[in-house]
Amino acid sequence: MFGWTGTTLRVDLTKGTVTREATDIGLAHTYLGARGMGGKIILDEVAPDTDALSPANKIVFSPGPLTGTFAPSAGRFEVVTKAPLNNVIAGSNSGGAFGPELKYAGYDALIIEGKAAKPVYLWIKNDEVEIRDAGAIWGHTTPDTTDLVRAETDEDAKVACIGPGGEHLSPIATVMNEMHRAAGRSGVGAVMGSKNLKAIAVFGTGAVTVADPERFKTAVMKARKMIQEHPVGGTGLKAYGTDVLVNILNQTGALPTRNYQDGYFPTADKIGGESLAAKQLVRPKGCFSCIISCGRVTKVDNPAYAGFGEGPEYETAWSFGADCGIDDLDAITKANFLCNEYGLDTISLGSTIACAMELFERGIITAKDTDGVQLTFGNVAAMVEMTRKAGEGEGFGAKLAQGSYRLAESYGHPEYSMTCKKQEMPAYDPRGVQGIGLNYATGNRGGCHVRGYTIAIEVLQNGAVMDPRITEGKAGLDITFQNLTAALDSAGACLFSTFGIGAPELAEMLSAVTGVEYSVDEFMKIGERIWNQERLWNLTQGYTTADDTLPERLLKDPIKTGPAKGEVNRLGEMLPEYYQLRGWDDKGVPSKAKLKELSLN
Amino acid sequence: MTVRFFATIRTYTGETERRLDDAPATLRELLTALAARYGTLFRRAAFAGADLNPEIIILVNGRNVLYLRGLDTALSQDDEVSIFPMVAGG
Repeated sequence: MFGWTGTTLRVDLTKGTVTREATDIGLAHTYLGARGMGGKIILDEVAPDTDALSPANKIVFSPGPLTGTFAPSAGRFEVVTKAPLNNVIAGSNSGGAFGPELKYAGYDALIIEGKAAKPVYLWIKNDEVEIRDAGAIWGHTTPDTTDLVRAETDEDAKVACIGPGGEHLSPIATVMNEMHRAAGRSGVGAVMGSKNLKAIAVFGTGAVTVADPERFKTAVMKARKMIQEHPVGGTGLKAYGTDVLVNILNQTGALPTRNYQDGYFPTADKIGGESLAAKQLVRPKGCFSCIISCGRVTKVDNPAYAGFGEGPEYETAWSFGADCGIDDLDAITKANFLCNEYGLDTISLGSTIACAMELFERGIITAKDTDGVQLTFGNVAAMVEMTRKAGEGEGFGAKLAQGSYRLAESYGHPEYSMTCKKQEMPAYDPRGVQGIGLNYATGNRGGCHVRGYTIAIEVLQNGAVMDPRITEGKAGLDITFQNLTAALDSAGACLFSTFGIGAPELAEMLSAVTGVEYSVDEFMKIGERIWNQERLWNLTQGYTTADDTLPERLLKDPIKTGPAKGEVNRLGEMLPEYYQLRGWDDKGVPSKAKLKELSLN
Repeated sequence: MTVRFFATIRTYTGETERRLDDAPATLRELLTALAARYGTLFRRAAFAGADLNPEIIILVNGRNVLYLRGLDTALSQDDEVSIFPMVAGG
């Protein structure tokens, strides 16, 4: 096989067995890898009523056919499992270096099942796979875990691991790789924790074979040039990182503020990418094979919040910043470092703290609940302390680590949880940008921006433009983004390569690598298939059209200040057309004709 | 009128914002005046020949001028104009 390695590794932690299987070629051609292949494996092998934290759940680490080649930014992989947060097929995407190393070790997918009797880690060196005792490593932060595992395996091993967050089975726990890169959403880290699996170390000496090297080289050089010449892919992201978005979202009036109570944060500039570059940036950093280098290596000198690491990304600066009414970048970056170290999702935890702040200010919870802390919007020290407590699972922090839906519901007020399908929405207020609201509402994994990033067109003028304030045309826009992203995620490419290239370039590189001809239509169809597959799973979990919605605040309460003052999200104008264009009935159920067209049952 | 500059635009202007006592009548006039003040790099960022550079994002009171009247967008004294290079993230 070209692109794919042809081998899937299966590890049963209950029995302590390791099995090598031939990768299903039909599966590979149809679902590519990563999100698509991992999702199909979960759909086929995990019974729908399985408890996500039980030994019967499985967790798949899967790169894509492009991963590990020199296609631009081709370093991605996904962690796919039944989500502890909300029972969907969690497909959490990550960069760093772990994905390519899995390919070099020889694997298209690593399927982990069962549960170890005691904490273990996996050591994969090409064909040799060991299940090793992790008793001395359990309890450590993700950077320390990485160092400890490397000391026992190889200093060049690439390590994916959980921190205390995953060990505590937090439904917002992450899997980290290369210390600072997160498979962040939906609680995938808790599944590792539930299996007593602390880390996976990989070292590979193989290579990815390419079907048509000359064609591939031509396609890659063209793609790299397009990215380099793009203002964002070429220079913008390297200079300022994703945090550059703070100001443009704020000036658009769509920067969610104080738990989405407003859409404009007057001191936003203090937490944006310009401030980050001036105050904290050590240098940019790129993942495997990436020229975009959006990563931030950062340092905080302020003794109160001193630290060193990577980030914050835009979503993180928002969640611990504007969403908590906070404009202290040092504290925000400290919270970011803590989340990485403990292995918790920055979007979900920041938004959960914001939710708690609103509950506190409304008197629904008091200092008695919050361990004596005045958990009000703008209380910088409280935000950082609560982040640490959440990581430790200590006091009120243990409740925060459950995510905002469970937190708010436990106090009888789920309406203050800014979630869709129990997953926290990220940093774009749908009242100011209509199409992203449709994406949040219809997202298969709940509140999520990356899988249908209409912001690129509605706000960022990336190649095309659509007015963020209108609903016309947004259903079609969302579907195009959702389908393209699903295919891209499954190929192993990075979403940010789309600041430069698109489906034609991705399909061409994929064809050249694999030797399988993928037209643009076929590439998009793969994405559509994966989207529908994830939808079908959600139907088995009891999700209905009633769940394709936004918090009532966003449908009913207008933004109070700023450029989008007075706006609400008009989901009702977009959702029926969305179902219709997707070929679903008016309850959002894929029609038989659509499933047949996509070769789905 | 307040004009705000972001990201690399700040490196061309050397400042984050400028207040104007007399609002120019149109965006074209505003950008021409700012280009005269800040120089070549700003001018190249703002204009592609006589047209608005497609790689610049300009909001007037939060609305992208592409949905208003582009360079012919009328401006008034109370307006807030925000000028960005193309930026992105996720």
